[in-house]
Parts: sequence; structure tokens; C-alpha cells
Amino acid sequence: MQACNLQNLPENYTMRYYLYHAMTWPSLSYVAEDAKGRIVGYVLAKMEEDIAPGDEPHGHLTSISVLRSYRRLGLAKKLMLQSQDAMASIYKASYVSLHVRKSNRAALSLYRDSLGFTVQDIEKKYYADGEDAYAMRLSLK
Amino acid sequence: MTPTPAKRALPPKESSLPKTADQILKKFPEHGETLCMKGLILTHMGKREEGLELVKKGVRLDLTSHIVWHVFGLIQKGEKNYEEALKSYTQALRFDKENMNILRDAAHLQTQLRLYDGLIDTRFLLLKLRPNLRQNWIGLALAYHLNGNLAEAKTVLEQYERSLKNVPDYDPEQSDLLLYHVRILEDMGELAEALTFLDVNAKSRSIVDRIAVMETRARILSKQGTRADAEQAWRALIQCNPDNTSYYHGLFRSKDIDLGDVKNADRSETLLLLRDLSVQNPRTITPKRLELMVASVEGFKSLANDYILCGLKKGIPSLFADLKPLYLDTQKRAITEELVDGHRRTLEEGFLPHESSGNVAENQDSDVPTTYLWTLYFLAQHFSHTGQHSRALSLLSTAISHTPTLPELYTLKGRILKRLGDYYKASLAVNEARLLDGQDRFLNTKAAKYKLRAGLIEEASDIFGLFTKKDAISPGADLEEMQSLLYLTEEGNAYRRQGKLHHALKKYHAVRKVFEEFEDDQFDFHGYSLRKFTINIYLNLLSWEDRLWSHPAYIHSAISASQIYVQVSDNPSLTGAILSTGKKSASDEYDKTISCPAGLSTEEEKKAKKKAKKAQQKQEELKKAATAALTNEDKTLDPTPQRDEDPDGIKLLTNPDPLERAWKLLSPLLRLSISNIEVWISIYDVAVRRGKYLQAIRALNYAKGLDASHPELHVRCLHFRKLYESLPSSSLASAGTVISIALEALITEKMTLEAYNAQYLQRHSASARAALGAARGLQILNSPRDEIEGVVFGTLNPQVDLPLKVSPCWRFEPVCELSAIHRPRLMCGHS
Repeated sequence: MQACNLQNLPENYTMRYYLYHAMTWPSLSYVAEDAKGRIVGYVLAKMEEDIAPGDEPHGHLTSISVLRSYRRLGLAKKLMLQSQDAMASIYKASYVSLHVRKSNRAALSLYRDSLGFTVQDIEKKYYADGEDAYAMRLSLK
Repeated sequence: MTPTPAKRALPPKESSLPKTADQILKKFPEHGETLCMKGLILTHMGKREEGLELVKKGVRLDLTSHIVWHVFGLIQKGEKNYEEALKSYTQALRFDKENMNILRDAAHLQTQLRLYDGLIDTRFLLLKLRPNLRQNWIGLALAYHLNGNLAEAKTVLEQYERSLKNVPDYDPEQSDLLLYHVRILEDMGELAEALTFLDVNAKSRSIVDRIAVMETRARILSKQGTRADAEQAWRALIQCNPDNTSYYHGLFRSKDIDLGDVKNADRSETLLLLRDLSVQNPRTITPKRLELMVASVEGFKSLANDYILCGLKKGIPSLFADLKPLYLDTQKRAITEELVDGHRRTLEEGFLPHESSGNVAENQDSDVPTTYLWTLYFLAQHFSHTGQHSRALSLLSTAISHTPTLPELYTLKGRILKRLGDYYKASLAVNEARLLDGQDRFLNTKAAKYKLRAGLIEEASDIFGLFTKKDAISPGADLEEMQSLLYLTEEGNAYRRQGKLHHALKKYHAVRKVFEEFEDDQFDFHGYSLRKFTINIYLNLLSWEDRLWSHPAYIHSAISASQIYVQVSDNPSLTGAILSTGKKSASDEYDKTISCPAGLSTEEEKKAKKKAKKAQQKQEELKKAATAALTNEDKTLDPTPQRDEDPDGIKLLTNPDPLERAWKLLSPLLRLSISNIEVWISIYDVAVRRGKYLQAIRALNYAKGLDASHPELHVRCLHFRKLYESLPSSSLASAGTVISIALEALITEKMTLEAYNAQYLQRHSASARAALGAARGLQILNSPRDEIEGVVFGTLNPQVDLPLKVSPCWRFEPVCELSAIHRPRLMCGHS
């Protein structure tokens, strides 16, 4: 999963962070494998830990990606649906949130058009390089 | 309790008042516990060496205080020296047997070191001291489980569950514990009990992970042989996730059918059921793909036609990779070729203007041009796979002139050129792909990798740098920090091919460091997972860690580095040669690429360095904060990363004991029964040079079990027997008999070594690799040069299969200084 992320995305993490997700919410992350068992796509997800007063428990999408050579199979959507389902059924999540770079059109269209997320807010300078992020949400109810 | 020693007892005033350590030490400079505390504080403040010195002194002054040993243990733990830390904790426990903190830390250390007997004792004591803490129960159950005693683990869990009151409703943590209970029952073979336990708790909603319940049910029912129920369970899973092939395999196993090897009698029933599943789950292609695998050659054609046309129309880039496994059946391969090539012709005819208008309208479909493109793309992959590279390239150039903007066409062109051995042109092609979509890191990574393969290390670094953190010291530093195994191994290989062995070693050792980090990563979870109750996944983590070092990237780096070390040990003058010719230019070039982006003035360079340093500091802080949040523990004892004293790997290369270093890299692989023969060859190469003959011959016998006719093994067999014959028997001492027995098992033939070598060549005359092995055999036997050359040139004989990647060629070269060897090498290219 780590290798797949490094190959695809600019936001990277050390192994420890992946393990932390797996050891805390073992059923929220999914991978897509090819016939030889190599990972070609993944969703890394968690439950939000600091819930603001009045807010409901909700999931958060840490990272999702599919190798370019395995696109157009609908893998991202399938991975996302499995994860959402687990968030709702195991942790009673009422919605799932995510952040996306303002400039990342491809991801934006995936979240908005195929997965049904809506933009909630713009977070100024969310990324380390100073770029803004859209905060998006999808209701699971 | 032992009475308090005189030196430890402070007057009541001193021990009750919050005096600083310094004030106390002014009056009582020999107070061990205070010295240790001061040492600990200094270590926290970053004065490591000074702190450690004080702690050691403190320990010496008060050997029977649990505090001094605890502090010493804490510091050793912070340095990841787990063995020594455990020793200190054991000492501390001698003087304070029931200290919860020390016991808990000791349990984590015992788990890290896999000392499960001791772990049981520690966990048992913890539970006895605090039975009201639920994690103490789980801890003991886990300790028994890890030590292989499932029955005791089960008993502990049952006792715990009986003691439970007020379990909150719908609790994911309790849910995971119950699933763990089922897992133990299942592993013990108590299937009926496991199933009842699962069903009861799933019904009462105590187990909330629906998918886990369904998977466990299906698995247990299958093991029980309760067919109808098992079938139902697998079908339900397929409904939930129709893309998981293991569910289909499970379903068919419940019908006694192995999907990977369907018998003729079962074929039509299997296909019918798959068709059925496909209709029920229209959004997945998984059952359709399985149909292709199961279908007989006769049925394959029409199924494949639909499947392939659909994929080409959608423009699925992975279509060929998806179908390639079917090519094991050459008839299916031929049918696929016929179908796709036929489709190409139909599309091409469609482009021609037709007099009779009827057909044209049909073919004027707007997606025809893209379908045509993906058809060419598929065919190019197909023909390259079957060895017809020029045909593949000409299809690609048609495709590129049709649509010059599809990056996949260029990456494929690059891959084909790479297969042909032209790494430079391959890198140009993939770079074109990258330029077509500069936002895509996947293409960027590929382009940089191909640059490395072509030896263009500096250019590769610039390309990597487009996506690495701007504030990192260099692109490579960011990738190393992010534990990119791809980058480290590829750059190491590139340096090795250029003969810059010091840089190569540096990268291979960086790979080892990444795996050490992976190994350390588990430490915090020994406590964390118990607190969080995520036991099942934690057990998976432990088994992943147990196999960690068998990862291909580690194996590759360990072998490559140990080959370099062996080379240096055989020929120590090599290091001087490399460093005197390569040092200036190599390290200059390295400095330029690593320390600052090319083209900066000194002033800018200074600024950039300052900025990078600041960024690094900030990152360290963030990392620390994250770690603290994760573990709720004080982590400031972790050693702060020290400045790299050897950025160019020169100290690695000039290490006085290269074989020792090589052995350190290989030794984690010894107990993992790795099936990669090269590992055992490397173990032999290092062991035999270290005079560890028993270890050496055992490695060869293990290798023989993997592939008795492997040329590298053949060479070592000769090498060892010749060496053995030359050894004075006194040097082997008691191991002599064992070795001679092992040698007999290795070479059963009773003949001279010359005959043995000739026989090997004759048996494998069609293989270039084997011939080169035999040539090296001749070299070991000091045969005349023309005889060796004869065998080497024999590989150019048309009957010999000479693959492009005959890697022994270039490994052969430095050993044997044959003028003629360059000819086959030119044809081979290196892998």
C-alpha cells in the first residue's frame, strides 16, 4: 500500500502511519490486487478521533489511489463503497469526510461525480506547500 | 524486603523536599538514584552521552536499586537495544517484583524479542496484580496463544468473559475480542463450538463486523464440510463484494470444485453457475473473467470475444495484463491473437470510405477511434510478449501517429525497448509519456526509474524532485525518509552498474535501515493493540513482522551488497581503484545532486540549505508529536538522528572487515527458509570465505534442494570440493566428518572434478547460463584459456538458448579477464 501510494500521490507516509490505521480501525481499509496478488489500488481510512461538540461520529478518508495502469475499472469507487459500508455498520458513522487539493481535478471529479461527495468548505493552506484544500463530505444515512 | 542501603537513604528533609537533583547531588554526590534521574533528564534534553555516563555511574553506585536499573533500561529501550534493555528490566524486577510499569515494559520487550515463555510469566503476574484491568486478561491469553498453547488462551478468555458485567451495547472493541475467541476455537479445530459462539454473538449484535462474521462463518462451514450451508455463506459474501475472487474459490470448493483446475466432468456446471453469478452481479467482471479461465478451448472463443471487445471499447489499460495469465494455454493465446487482430482489421476497413453507405453509419460510432487505439495497444503488448518486438513497435508507431497524446503508448514503447536491451531509448520514450501528463506522479516515477536503469542518475533525481517535498535536502532524501524501496534499490543498482560501489552500498544499507524501522514499528503496538482491543489484526502484524526480512527488496539489497563485499574481500585493491578514479568526479556529482538543486549560486545554496535544515527540524518536531499522540508515552528517549558521517558510502566500502558486514546483511535470512536460490549462494560465498565450512556446505545443500542444476550452484560445488581437498584435516577438527558427509550428499557422483564439470556441460548444453557456469568451473580447475573460451563461445551457437538477460555474463567478467568475453556481453546487455 505504501509503495502504491509513493508511486502515485504526492502525499506520503511512513509505514508506521499505515500500521496505525490498521491497528486502530482494522476493517476500514481495503486493497485491490492483481492476479499475482500485487496491490494496484487501496483506500486508507479512519474514524475521526476528535469530534467537535454536537458533531456525530464520522469517518475520514486518509488516502485513496489506483495505479494509472489499472484505471477505468471502477476500482476507486468499489474500494470506497466497501470502506463506507464498514464505517457505517461497525462504527455507526453518519458521514465520511475528506480533503482534496484544489488543483486536483481528477480526484475532485471522482469524489463529486462518481461517489457523490459535496464540497463543505475550503481550508486555506491545508497542504504543506501552501495549497488550499476542499473539505468534502458524503452522508452515510 | 532488603533493607535500604545506607548510601540510598537520604535524610527525611532531602527526600521530602522538592529539591533539584543538582542540589541533592551537591550534598550527596554518590547518590545513585539521583545521578540516574539527572542522567535521564540530560538524555531528554538531548545531551545523550553525558546523560548515559551519569546513568551508568548511578547504576554502579547503587546496584540494588530498582530505580537505577529502570532508568538504565529506559535509555537502552530508547536506543532500540531491546536485549540489553530487557536485562536491565529483569534486574529492576529483582528489587521491586511487583512494579506495574516495569512489568508492562518488560512484557513489551519480551514480545519484541519473541521470548514467549518469559512473556507468560510477566503477563500472569500483571493479571494477578490487577485483575480489574481488562487488557491484563487479554495480555495473558495472547501470551499463551503466541507460545502455542491455545487451550490455555481459551481458558483465560472464558474466565474473562464470565467476569464481565456491563458491556456497552454495540462495542467494536468487545466485538473484536469475541472474534478472537472464535479464531482460537477455529484454530483448535473445535469447529462446532466456534460456529455456535459466532452465531450467538452475531445474533445478539455483540459482534458488529458483519463482513468478518460472514467470512468466518463461510470458512468454518467449509472446514466442517457442511456443504449446503457453506455454499449459502459464500454466496452471501459474493453479494456483498462480488469482486473478491477468494469468495468464488470458496463457493466452488464447497461443491468440491477447484476453480484453478476444473475437471472436464464439472466444467459445464461450473460455467453455468458462473454465468448465473455474473447475471446477478452485473457491475462486476470477476465471474466473467473466471469463465474465461474455466472454459474449454471450444467455448473460449465467444466468451473471450465479448470480454475483450467490451474492454477495448471502454479503453481499459490493464486488459492485456488481465488476460496474460490465460496464455499458459497456448491455444487460448492463439485465439486471443486471432480475435484482437481480426478486430483491428475490421476497424481499419471501417475507416476506408465505402461506396455502399449502410456499413459506414454503423462504424461511424464516435468511440471507434479510441477503440482502435486500445486495440493497437493490446496487440503491441501481445506481440512483445510473444517475442515479436519489431512487430509490436510498428503497431505502436501506427498508434502514435493516430493519437500522439496517449501516454500509455510511450510507456509501452519504453518497456519494449527495455526488453530489447536499449535502456537509453527506453528512458527517452517513457520521458515523453511523462511530458504528456506532468501532473501524474505514476508517469513521473516510471520516467525516473527508466532514467536510473539507463544510468542517468542525476537526471533521474531531477525528475523525482518534481514530486518530492520542496523543503527536503534532496529528492533522494525525501524518498529515503518516506521509505521508498523502489528508489533505493534502483539507484543502488544504477551505481553498482557504473562501478561506484560505495554509493551502491550506501543505498543497499539504506534499504536495510528501512526494514529495521519496519521492525521497530511494531514495538509500540505491543501495548497499543491491547489497549485498543484490536487483537486479530495485531496477531497478523506479528506474523508479518516474523517474515519481514523475506521481502524481495530486502533480499535483493542484501544479496547485491554482499556480492560487492565479497568482490572487495577477494580483491582489496578494488577499493583503492574505485576511490581514486571515481572519487573526485563521483562525489562531486553526488554532492551536486544531493546537497542542492543544480544551478544555484553559493548564496542561494546557503539559503536553500538553511531552509532545508529548518524544514527538517520542523518535520522532526511533527514526527515526535505524532508519535507521542500514538503511544501516549514519552518518546523523547529516541536517539536524535545523527549527522550522516559517510554520505558517499566510502567508509562502507573501505570497511576493514567486509565479510563481517556481508554476513550481518545475510543473517536475518538464514532462519526464514527462503526459496530464492541466490540467497543460499550468497550465504555460501560469505561463509566459505569466513572459514565457516559447515555453514557453507549446509547452504549448498539447501540450494540443491531448490534447483540442483543451477549454474551458480554448480560453480560453488566445484569450488568447495576443490577447497576441501586442499584443506589440512586438522583445520576442520570435529566438524570434518559432518562436512564430508554433507559433501557426499552434495556431489554423489564418484568422478574427477574435470569429468564432473564436463558432464554438467553436456547435460545442459542448450542453456547459455549453464555453459557459462561450466566455463567458470573450468576456470576454477585452472584449465587452459582456449578451452574456457571455447565453452563461452559455444553459447553463440544457434542451438543454444541465449536469453537477453544472461546476467552471469557480466558477473563473470570481473573474475575472468578474457578479451573475448565482451562479445557476448555486448549482445546481452545487463539486467
